[in-house]
Amino acid sequence: MTSGRAVSDIELNAYLDGELGAEERRVIEARLSEDAALAERMAQLRRINEQLRARYDPIVAEPLPASLEAALRRGRAWQRPRPWMQIAAAIVLLMIGGAGGYVLRGAALSEQIESASFVQDAVGAHAVYSVEVRHPVEVAASEEDHLVKWLTKRIGAEIRAPDLGTLDFRLMGGRLLAAEGQPAAQFMYEDKRGRRLTLYVRQADKMENTAFQFAEAGGVSAFYWIDRPLAYAIAAELPREELLAVSRLVYEQLD
Amino acid sequence: MDRREAIAAELPRLRRYARALVGEQGDADDLVQECLVRALRRHRQWRRGESPRKWLFAILHNVYVDGVRRRAKRPGHVTLEDAGEALGSRDSLDPAMGIDIERGLRVLSEEQRQTVLLVGLEGLSYAETADILGVPIGTVMSRLARGRERLRQHLQQGLDHRPPLTRIK
Repeated sequence: MTSGRAVSDIELNAYLDGELGAEERRVIEARLSEDAALAERMAQLRRINEQLRARYDPIVAEPLPASLEAALRRGRAWQRPRPWMQIAAAIVLLMIGGAGGYVLRGAALSEQIESASFVQDAVGAHAVYSVEVRHPVEVAASEEDHLVKWLTKRIGAEIRAPDLGTLDFRLMGGRLLAAEGQPAAQFMYEDKRGRRLTLYVRQADKMENTAFQFAEAGGVSAFYWIDRPLAYAIAAELPREELLAVSRLVYEQLD
Repeated sequence: MDRREAIAAELPRLRRYARALVGEQGDADDLVQECLVRALRRHRQWRRGESPRKWLFAILHNVYVDGVRRRAKRPGHVTLEDAGEALGSRDSLDPAMGIDIERGLRVLSEEQRQTVLLVGLEGLSYAETADILGVPIGTVMSRLARGRERLRQHLQQGLDHRPPLTRIK
């Protein structure tokens, strides 16, 4: 028997679990070949894992119980009809990378990222609420005065719901949202065909004034601009030209 | 791969771990159900591209710990008769072995059992196990060594019908 420190329980287990480096493994293997009692202990430890697997592995092959299938299906129902995370992420990439979209000229990267994140929030909010059948808005258009007063107070700057009647979009109502702890207003409009668009307004924070910026991905288009102190985004599944017309009307109305 | 599909793919393993952890299939499936509900609610917290396995096992662990704290402690023992019935319906090669390892697990502390199962049954690394349990790697290693040593002795007693072996230090 060679002289050398005893192999600790921890080392033995680490060897068994493949957690040792090559050099340490060699040392243990050498000791195992010399020390029969140690080798026997190792074999018994190995048997524990083997028995665990023999006893419980069959469960992996079993079909899922009905209750779990049901929970999965219910989870399915909560999903957006379209993968808005991918859309929102794609918009962010478009804006920062400039591939086919607009990149803020002369703006620092941090500002671009803040704008990208602002648009992502607007698009995300559009995706979440525009598909709602029962509760698309929190406060209906019938209470527009109250809605506007409330949002103005929370956001800390004058908020108004533009009149988009000339383009056949009527106001459905609005809600207050939170984006990273900041309040944001969302107005929802609908045309006779049931197409919906949302106007998303937030404090501009560090973002500087811009002209119209456009982003599109996965069928959702967004125009946004900064007109300090507020940042605006219009999101909808509309062709770009139509959305541009809407955005221009919104801009004129809020000027 | 769709998030839901990726989560669904992990359910069989979660069921296996839960079964070994709580000792009874009904309770185990309740645990996995609660874990699934929580995971679907928080699916945005899981970063795309990462395997959901560690994330889901961590959720299961937290749900389990919450449940243990909340409920009055129920005996998690599988009686010999219950185990016999359960095993009768499985293709277990050696029923005696199966019962033995189950009883052995019940002898361990909660922490030892979790660690032995995550590493030995689920094949998770020490680092992943440490993350899931929210403890340092050193703690994982010592709980693992102690848990397995107790199991080793338990199984040896079963095999040899001898008094406990003296510890080799």
